[in-house]
Amino acid sequence: MIRSVFNLLVFPGFIFLVLSGLTFEWLDRKFLARFQRRVGPPWYQPLADLIKLFSKEDLLPKNVNDFLAALLPLVSLAAVLTAGLYVPIAGYKAFSFEGDLIVIIFLMSVPTLAYYLAGIISLGIYSVLGGGRSLLQFFSYEVPLLIALSGPAILGGSWSVSSIMTSQGNLGSFILFQPLGFVLAVVGLIGKLKRDPFDIPKAKSEVVGGSLTEFSGPTLGFWNLVMDIQAVIGIFLLIDLYFGWTKMSHPSLSIIIFIIECLILVLILSGTSAIFARLRIDQLAGLGWRILVPLALLQLGFIILMGI
Amino acid sequence: MDKISIPIGPQHPLLKEPLSMMVDIAGEKVLGGSLRLGYVHRGIERLAQQRTYVQNVHLIERICGICSHVHTTAYCYAVEALLGIEIPPRAQYIRALMCELERIHSHLLWLGILAKHIGLETIFMHTWHDREMALDIMEEISGGRVSHAANQIGGVRFDLDEEHGDMIRGILKKLHSQVDGLLDIIETEPAAIARTKGVAPISSDLIKAYGVVGPVARASGVDIDLRRDAPLPPYDKLQVKVVTHPGGDAWARTYVRAEETRVSLNLCEKILEDLPEGDVSLRTPRRVPEGEVIIRSEAPRGELFYYLRSDGSDKPARLKVRTPTLAALSLLPVQLAEINVADIPVVLAGVDLCIACADR
Repeated sequence: MIRSVFNLLVFPGFIFLVLSGLTFEWLDRKFLARFQRRVGPPWYQPLADLIKLFSKEDLLPKNVNDFLAALLPLVSLAAVLTAGLYVPIAGYKAFSFEGDLIVIIFLMSVPTLAYYLAGIISLGIYSVLGGGRSLLQFFSYEVPLLIALSGPAILGGSWSVSSIMTSQGNLGSFILFQPLGFVLAVVGLIGKLKRDPFDIPKAKSEVVGGSLTEFSGPTLGFWNLVMDIQAVIGIFLLIDLYFGWTKMSHPSLSIIIFIIECLILVLILSGTSAIFARLRIDQLAGLGWRILVPLALLQLGFIILMGI
Repeated sequence: MDKISIPIGPQHPLLKEPLSMMVDIAGEKVLGGSLRLGYVHRGIERLAQQRTYVQNVHLIERICGICSHVHTTAYCYAVEALLGIEIPPRAQYIRALMCELERIHSHLLWLGILAKHIGLETIFMHTWHDREMALDIMEEISGGRVSHAANQIGGVRFDLDEEHGDMIRGILKKLHSQVDGLLDIIETEPAAIARTKGVAPISSDLIKAYGVVGPVARASGVDIDLRRDAPLPPYDKLQVKVVTHPGGDAWARTYVRAEETRVSLNLCEKILEDLPEGDVSLRTPRRVPEGEVIIRSEAPRGELFYYLRSDGSDKPARLKVRTPTLAALSLLPVQLAEINVADIPVVLAGVDLCIACADR
């Protein structure tokens, strides 16, 4: 009982995920700043931003359903926090059952749908445009991401993230067998997180702030938190599925390796957002269905043949 | 799909200066747009009639924050033509040097804005960092980064010495290698090409019909450049290479401006090499004889037109300024039809608007 409460609230639950989300945001901003010859923010900047947003007034246009507007980020936050419970972090699994990978993927899609709804209900022209774009984007990246993520599951012989992770102790890290699948999963993750070059739904020069244009105050703060936590869970998930858990002589060494793997992924995410231009929505759909899906299927076929 | 109108401006993250556009869209397709101008109208032409010729130099400099020097250059040449004097060759060369530095910083600024609009924020940061080098030179020799106060009627306010020459050559060399690297990225990066190639092409006929000038015209294959066609001194002694591209799309506009930056860098070096000896200014009378004159000069955005009429007093009777942006603005609604919503920033950036110039 106490263990469950600890898991829910402290590790790997609410407090840990929020803190790692803020750390991710800081690292990402810092890396990006260094790529762009800037200094970047101090370590407490994301927390300060969050506190500032929570102390501000919540303003919405007339006739917007306030209750729904406040509910959507909370539902998304609940969904990503729940997903976080099933993703083993640094080899520690809080909860798991056969098939939790599918549940995680489902829960990680909830923020995207809520983001779309937030755009529709907030009655702004830019919000509606951004919301529509986020849904179009969802259909472009989700399918290749799903096919890519089913690769480790087939190779590990299980749909549970923790058993896929542990099976890599015997077989070797799955990234060695499916580097292409890993690349596709990273591309899918970038799409899911709406990061540059797939930041089409919130492209500043086109649709101002996308779905969240009209939001302010705590609601916007919750949305930012959701995005950060979604990013860290995506990173943890990719590490569990593709790198596995490296058993060293001392557990602290293993944790250091895990942290290094996390940093590499953050660096990949920041680097891609620094060096690529934003695509157009039609170009993204073309990329998703004409290039990523065939490649993902190719990788899947390769894994199945390898299994035989 | 239903037609909706989205407002772009007067306040929008896309715009650096106030301009109002209503764009009609259906889904992700743009059907057309309409413009509203005049948000930064300051009545400068009328104001110029109430001030003396000398005071006006400082007023004219404030028309634009990017190409301030070329405005005063055109104005000073106009007044000097009415006075019937020719300024010393050294002053002409220094004026041209400032013009070229201004072109470099204007084009780099524009490149950064285009990169930012297509989501390449890294290039934006790097170009604006490199642009500071050109501004550093101008600050070092004139005292001002943006408003240089370099021109006066009868010449320029400062002289260059050997130390300046070495400093400028050093910075230009560094800038040259930086610009080469940046332009290489913008010309070869696949996502950047995908976002600009084939976007909103303008035919050369349309360019001529709307009277569009400058890099936008040259990117549609119209071979015009006043530095070669109707040169003010000292451009008649410098062989200016005119860059054109037949493409007409946003990529061609990028290419033309990129190459022009290189041409200007070379031109700066040539000007420093050829810099004649002598005075940099003449004493001029306060009153200007009766008459009227037209001076055309190549600003970073194209032909800048100055008409000046004098009634024999110390104040102009009429000053008319026509800036290149106005023609480009009239073509904007045409360009906006039948494009993607995501291409609006590319189109807007492509014509390199200077609203402060257009409104005055």
